[in-house]
Amino acid sequence: MSAGRQIFAIIRKDIIAELRTKEMVVSMLLFILLIMVAFRSAFGELGDITEFAGGLLWIAFLFTSLLGLNRSFVHEKDEGCLEGLLLSPVDRPNIFLGKMIGNLIFLSIVELLAIPLYITLFNLSIKGSVPLFIAAVLLSDVGICAIGTLLSTISINTKLRDMLLPLIFLPVSSPLLIAAVVATNKIMSGATGPEFEPALDAIKLLAAYDIIFLLLAYALYDFVIGE
Amino acid sequence: MKRTITILLLTGGALLLTGLALAFLVAPTAVGQKGVEIFSQKIFYFHVPVSETSLLAFILGAVFGVLFLVKKSPKYDFLSLAAVEVGFVFGLLVEWTGIIWTRAEWGVWWTWEPRLTSFFILMLMYAGYFVLRSSINEESARARFSAVYSIVAAVNAPLTFFAIRLIPSVHPVVFDSSGAHMEPSMLAAFLVSMFGMLIFSTALILIRYQLQTAREELDYLKNEL
Repeated sequence: MSAGRQIFAIIRKDIIAELRTKEMVVSMLLFILLIMVAFRSAFGELGDITEFAGGLLWIAFLFTSLLGLNRSFVHEKDEGCLEGLLLSPVDRPNIFLGKMIGNLIFLSIVELLAIPLYITLFNLSIKGSVPLFIAAVLLSDVGICAIGTLLSTISINTKLRDMLLPLIFLPVSSPLLIAAVVATNKIMSGATGPEFEPALDAIKLLAAYDIIFLLLAYALYDFVIGE
Repeated sequence: MKRTITILLLTGGALLLTGLALAFLVAPTAVGQKGVEIFSQKIFYFHVPVSETSLLAFILGAVFGVLFLVKKSPKYDFLSLAAVEVGFVFGLLVEWTGIIWTRAEWGVWWTWEPRLTSFFILMLMYAGYFVLRSSINEESARARFSAVYSIVAAVNAPLTFFAIRLIPSVHPVVFDSSGAHMEPSMLAAFLVSMFGMLIFSTALILIRYQLQTAREELDYLKNEL
């Protein structure tokens, strides 16, 4: 079995399981909507939140991705599927890529539904370039899923289980959060010229973060997935 | 080993005290841009060495983490833990000295200044390291996970520092590409402190390592009984 087929098989398995229950995407989306209501309660008096719209969006996405990342391994662990995966003739790093791409697909679907809702509910608009906005979001997602898949594999194998993930995932993903917020804020507010410089730097940083942690997680996954 | 530690502790301690003495008695008080003497700059001789040492200890923790994953010897796990522990304690000192300087110079206990913020995130990241360690009973898994996390955390540290730079800063910059901006006697005091701090922290890491090894031996003997 080639690497591509191995990875695809794992993704396919996760997608089929999700299509049967639809629990992950639905609960993640509901969670984002609830966070938006909380935002409204917290910042409703301000009226216009254009200034930090990107920041709020990323708080919602980061916490939602925590939910999804935990789910993706709780299943495997509870049903004993993880042992099955380890016994199957799949290379360990390919398990990482399969799980990561699966997580990325679910997170992207949730965001695809959530972003238009967010823009409508809070009366916002993307004043800058929309393709660049999508690129920034996708780059951030890749980083979130790369480091998140590695760390959720670790946390699910500890006594604290899903309690531990936020404690290690949030600080490690902080560069990503900062860069994603800077980029989306600048693009949404339609900054130009020197005002826009930080956004480009942020996008470069996101790309660097993704490459570094994809390689690192790929290399280290063998050590966390089991003896 | 014991003798080495004693020698390192004494040398490090002596250098640290000499450095501080030089800082307060020999080095001139720094003069700010407005021609006013800034006494609070004296903290620089302690604050900077302590922060550099803290970062180095974290890097060392990751290096031992890599060595553990390659060689699978528990020795490297203990060394990695010892380095992270020392890095963390020094990091607390960095935060504390940073805070009192901020209070003296800017009149507030805390400001979300980039460097303060990135160090704060770094400390939270390593706090997670200890939580991770304590939530795994099985030794080999604990060592493997900690090693992986120590590598991830150390790689993430510079990224955090870069990311925070996307927001403009007001931290004084003393060292840049053109060299150090200070008088020779100041540089001397700083370098003596810096070396003292490095030697002293090495001794601390070795002490923690010995303690871990002794603990391990004790457990083994208990099981024998």
